[in-house]
Amino acid sequence: MEHIRMPKVENVRLLDRLSSRKAALGTLYLTATHVIFVENVSETRKETWVLHSQISSIEKQATTATGCPLLIRCKNFQVIQLVIPQERDCHDVYISLIRLARPVKYEELYCFSFNPKLDKEERERGWKLVDLSEEYNRMGIPNDCWQMSDVNRDYGVCDSYPTEVYVPKSATAHIIVGSSKFRSRRRFPALSYYYKDNNASICRSSQPLSGFSARCLEDEQMLQAIRKANPGSDFIYVVDTRPKLNAMANRAAGKGYENEDNYSNIKFQFIGIENIHVMRNSLQKMLEVCEMKSPSMSDFLWGLENSGWLKHIKAIMDAGIFIAKAVAEEGVSVLVHCSDGWDRTAQVCSVASLLLDPYYRTVKGFMVLIEKDWVSFGHKFNHRYGNLDGDPKEISPVIDQFIECVWQLMEQFPCAFEFNERFLIHIQHHIYSCQFGNFLCNSQKERRELKIRERTYSLWAHLWKNRADYLNPLYRSEHSQTRGTLHPQMAPCNFLYKFWSGMYNRFEKGLHPRQSVTDYLMAVKEETQQLEEELEVLGERLANLQKLQSNDNKVKSKQQDRSKELGLSASNNSLANTPQEYSSELKSFPSRSPSQGDEEDSALILTQDNLKSSDPDLSANSDQESGVEDLSCRSPSGGGCLPSEDSGKDSDEAVCLA
Amino acid sequence: PFSVLGEIVVNEVNFVRKCIATDTSQYDLWGKLVCTNFKISFITDDPMPLQKFHYKNLLLGEHDVPLTCIEQIVTVNDTKRKQKVLGPNQKLKFNPTELIIYCKDFRIVRFRFDEAGPESAKKVCLAIAHYSQPTDLQLLFAFEYVGEIYHNPAKKVNGIDPGGGGSSGIGSASGQQTPLFETYSDWDREIKRTGASEWRVCSVNEGYMISTCLPEYFVVPSSLADQDLKLYSHSFIGRRMPLWSWNHPNGSALVRMANIKDVLQQRRIDQRICNAITRSHPLRSDVYKSDLDKCLPSIQEIQAAHVKLKQLCVNEPFEETEEKWLSSLENTHWLEYIRSFLKHSAELVYMMECKHVSVVLQEEEGRDLSCLAASLVQVMLDPYFRTIVGFQSLIQKEWVMAGYQFLDRCNHLKRSDKESPLFLMFLDCVWQLLEQYPAAFEFSEMYLTILYDSARISLFGTFLFNCPHQRVKESTEFAISKNIQLGDEKGLKFPCVWDWSLQFTSRDRLLFHNPLYVGKSAPCVQNGAVKTFKRSKKNYSSTLRGAPPALKNGIISEQEFLPRRNSLILKLKPDFLQQTESQSNSMEQYFRDWFAKPVDLHGVILPHVSGTQIKLWKLCYFRWVPEAQINHGGFIAAFHKVSLLADEVDTLNRNLRQYKSNSPLQGNCSELDQGRMYFRANGLNDTSGAPDFLSSSFPFSPVGNLCRRSILGTPLSKFLSGAKIWLSTETLANED
Repeated sequence: MEHIRMPKVENVRLLDRLSSRKAALGTLYLTATHVIFVENVSETRKETWVLHSQISSIEKQATTATGCPLLIRCKNFQVIQLVIPQERDCHDVYISLIRLARPVKYEELYCFSFNPKLDKEERERGWKLVDLSEEYNRMGIPNDCWQMSDVNRDYGVCDSYPTEVYVPKSATAHIIVGSSKFRSRRRFPALSYYYKDNNASICRSSQPLSGFSARCLEDEQMLQAIRKANPGSDFIYVVDTRPKLNAMANRAAGKGYENEDNYSNIKFQFIGIENIHVMRNSLQKMLEVCEMKSPSMSDFLWGLENSGWLKHIKAIMDAGIFIAKAVAEEGVSVLVHCSDGWDRTAQVCSVASLLLDPYYRTVKGFMVLIEKDWVSFGHKFNHRYGNLDGDPKEISPVIDQFIECVWQLMEQFPCAFEFNERFLIHIQHHIYSCQFGNFLCNSQKERRELKIRERTYSLWAHLWKNRADYLNPLYRSEHSQTRGTLHPQMAPCNFLYKFWSGMYNRFEKGLHPRQSVTDYLMAVKEETQQLEEELEVLGERLANLQKLQSNDNKVKSKQQDRSKELGLSASNNSLANTPQEYSSELKSFPSRSPSQGDEEDSALILTQDNLKSSDPDLSANSDQESGVEDLSCRSPSGGGCLPSEDSGKDSDEAVCLA
Repeated sequence: PFSVLGEIVVNEVNFVRKCIATDTSQYDLWGKLVCTNFKISFITDDPMPLQKFHYKNLLLGEHDVPLTCIEQIVTVNDTKRKQKVLGPNQKLKFNPTELIIYCKDFRIVRFRFDEAGPESAKKVCLAIAHYSQPTDLQLLFAFEYVGEIYHNPAKKVNGIDPGGGGSSGIGSASGQQTPLFETYSDWDREIKRTGASEWRVCSVNEGYMISTCLPEYFVVPSSLADQDLKLYSHSFIGRRMPLWSWNHPNGSALVRMANIKDVLQQRRIDQRICNAITRSHPLRSDVYKSDLDKCLPSIQEIQAAHVKLKQLCVNEPFEETEEKWLSSLENTHWLEYIRSFLKHSAELVYMMECKHVSVVLQEEEGRDLSCLAASLVQVMLDPYFRTIVGFQSLIQKEWVMAGYQFLDRCNHLKRSDKESPLFLMFLDCVWQLLEQYPAAFEFSEMYLTILYDSARISLFGTFLFNCPHQRVKESTEFAISKNIQLGDEKGLKFPCVWDWSLQFTSRDRLLFHNPLYVGKSAPCVQNGAVKTFKRSKKNYSSTLRGAPPALKNGIISEQEFLPRRNSLILKLKPDFLQQTESQSNSMEQYFRDWFAKPVDLHGVILPHVSGTQIKLWKLCYFRWVPEAQINHGGFIAAFHKVSLLADEVDTLNRNLRQYKSNSPLQGNCSELDQGRMYFRANGLNDTSGAPDFLSSSFPFSPVGNLCRRSILGTPLSKFLSGAKIWLSTETLANED
């Protein structure tokens, strides 16, 4: 690769952030796709892999006696501190990384070289896993009041919208086009979610170009059509998710918000969610708190409060709750917008959908939700997450905030979600990794032009394949909190104190309580399964024995049984007080009959491997990649961080390139 | 309803309204307000079941408040715009239209007397004020109760429903098995259990001849003779000579000791004591002294933090200031103090576990911070104290017997100057550990919360006195005044908190059990992977109760620390921990190494003390606040599910045993009905949903409690007729 000035540097030290004394000595490799650090310690050869697309900033610090420090901050909140012996090498690495971390063409991104060795059909099937027209069908659309419109089939009306848009039946092409001309970036009101039970809907758009007094008949008709599509209600809510001041300021630029007097039967509501710039700074401040070595209580609490991060999350949740309530309890349809309708609107619509519909709380449903409210409606993934080198002011953790909202809900309703924390963390990782094509570009149009589906793979297929890793053992589909609308509790004691260290501190191994309830549950589940199997085997044996006994009633077999019985009662009564005692008790565990003893022993020990093997990429080559494996098999609370493929199969390839 | 023996109704008033919502009276409850000598009770006219679940305290009804739980009584007359905080024996010059009771458990109860007889309302208010603020210890209800029992021995169980068939099935939580450390043999057993061979039980304080604030029996180094102890005792504050608490398998001891008041003798006595402790160490290791007064918050600071926390939890989360909630929380310092106790205790664990030195906790009187620090260290080091019986014995040993002044610190007599919630802080610290290691404890957070509540029920003798001697002295006086023949007994026997059957049915007591705790056979989970015990043993062999020789050979050589025999140079320096760079580095190293290894739940557990890891104990502090309740959600949802699974595992295990013993129908029938879990699976692969009543406040119900904020958003403070929230330090004085 022409950008790599220095493919390999030896005697580099990787510092442990939590302790200045502990550093690992090793070799640093730069490949076309990754930065790799391999420790020198021969048995472990621990490896640290970082995708170029994950790098958010590189900082070269003043040279010291020991070398030249290089600080790499990643978009998945990993912070890597290297010390390179020679200043010259460090500079070369620095210059190379600056370039590698900021690709200028989509073709430079990892997904175009990433090859999970699937054939063409598998790839296509992967892309078809999430099908939005199927999803609208599931909601009950098309029906008497709603239909799919092809008005945008060539992106002729709105280039950031999908080709398939769902609108009220009474909204003619004329109304849609007219309305689109009155909306910022022509993002006209379209259906995001339809609530079958009472016909209420959530629609989304951008802000109207109302300025101080402008009106648009078609836009008014459009809103009217949305209202009429819900016969049960005589008004709709129009929710502007911006703070009122921001919305008013927009009027000077000929934009703004709906005037209640001009639209018949609307109720207008501001919900003050701040803009992307405020959110970017807020995250920055919160990450500063996360980077503290050992924050005291006041460092942490003050830092968290001053960052405002949780306040912003709460604003998004509040908006989602408002909408879910309007839809489910009042039966009123809601039109949501912000400025362009692709950031805050996406957040709020998806939170509301998640609260309303249990389907979105399943693994598959969550993929559909992201595809529906984020990908298809033109959330600017490329700009927001800086996939290609661009304006840093466009970057903002918009979907990160949505993902955190989901986590907050999972905290309050531990049994309501089919997926676990790891699922969220892996999705967050891949939004930045550019390893799969799903989140490339800023719109469906751009993705089609780039032929993403032909040239890259879909993340959803990959996650679906490994879904066993992402299941929440507490999930109960029949559970009362799983069914119906969720009612989160937003009192500050429930909310303002919930810091997601599983996400933001997920690389700080030493910081996590390593034993979450979920981990234990998985263990208990495992144990249950083992016992059930054992029970079955014993049942069979018993049946056999009885058969044997009745057929051939010899004294000998009786004696055997007697002795078994004795052995058993002894081991049951003794309480094991030490692991040694325990294991000796295990040995005397009478189920280990000669015929099957060995197998069962290994079954017990293998539980770890059984669990792991659900992600085959991980268990393969585990010796060479122990470091990577270490990171990725961590518990949900500890945060599995690097999904397998970063490190797994293509590692050889990557190293070869170096 | 007033079935507790000795309980009598003092006063009552009908047609009282208990207020629920702030902006409407439509949810209010009508009923009778009763003041007895034990509690205040509200009996609703319609026996409407507010709680859909039946988790109840046998001593208390849903709307009852024990008198000892009352913090403050405010009477209001809105037409005259008057209000008054009612102290004991005070007069009330107006007829109250409402009564607001602030409780120590953060509840607020509000009654209105609009339809009630004005005179009777006033009388009830005065009665509550009088009975909840007794002038003398002997006026507490426990004495009344015990007096009745001694007069009517036949009634022993009468009055209190023993609760669905005694304590069978949950034997571990019953009073019988918890060592109370009142006797020689309990201490002796503890010495043997911990292998403290160089220590002996000393009975010089029999009959409290030496010190009135020490237990009759305690443990001292074998090398100290009774004669020496008697001599030295004069130099200690309160004659509180060193008390042994616990021994590490490596021989290091945990000792607590009051300051030496005699300045001239100080050095000499200190050396003698330290020498004796050193001599009791198998390696003759040095003694490490930790001056708790210097490195931990004072009891006054803790009390101040508690007052602020109360304000925050009761009021402020629901004010307009919610954006400032985190800084308000910080401003209480409560979590900071929790953190400092955990941190300091972890450092002491390091000294004993890794440095192999005995630790002496030193404190002015040695009966406040030492209780907390000593217990925390033991909870971290010894898995026995993480079982229910073990934990109870720990509280007996380090709090009740060691002379923690429950009477003053809990402020049962409402003389607020000595109040400090150290016991609550201890329970909170344990909760933090439970939160970090959810499978390391036999008990649940409900157990901790209920234990905290039990300290404010004046029926039990456990948390009523400043020291064991006080019980003997006061109850003997009481017995004489009531013509009770004591016989051989030393004072009256009060009901014990550990006899949980007095408060809960055996079924309800199942909620004390943590479903994740599977005893010794717990699979070890690390990084999301299940490891059976065999495997984890391979990785991590230094189990606490494992083989001490391994510790001696393996670890000690790695340390730069070489114990010098009989040397006092090191041990007299208070800043031992920070003494040298290498020292603190080696501690850092120890913690880092420890956290890098898989946890052995039946070994040492150490807390994470980063600011991000210390949490607010929501169940305890927010359970009475309706707005904080997450319906169908919260931790209990997970608890419920895990309980079902644990129950399934138990069932399968039982089935297995039956198959193995080839006697499917024998012996195990009783076991089958009993189960360990409060929530039980309905057969295998139970698919029934969680009950609807589960909320984050379970098993407590904020229903029937005052809402903090109405639908219209009126904050509580504005609603309470202008009465300030939590006036504990000030008095409303606008009565004439």
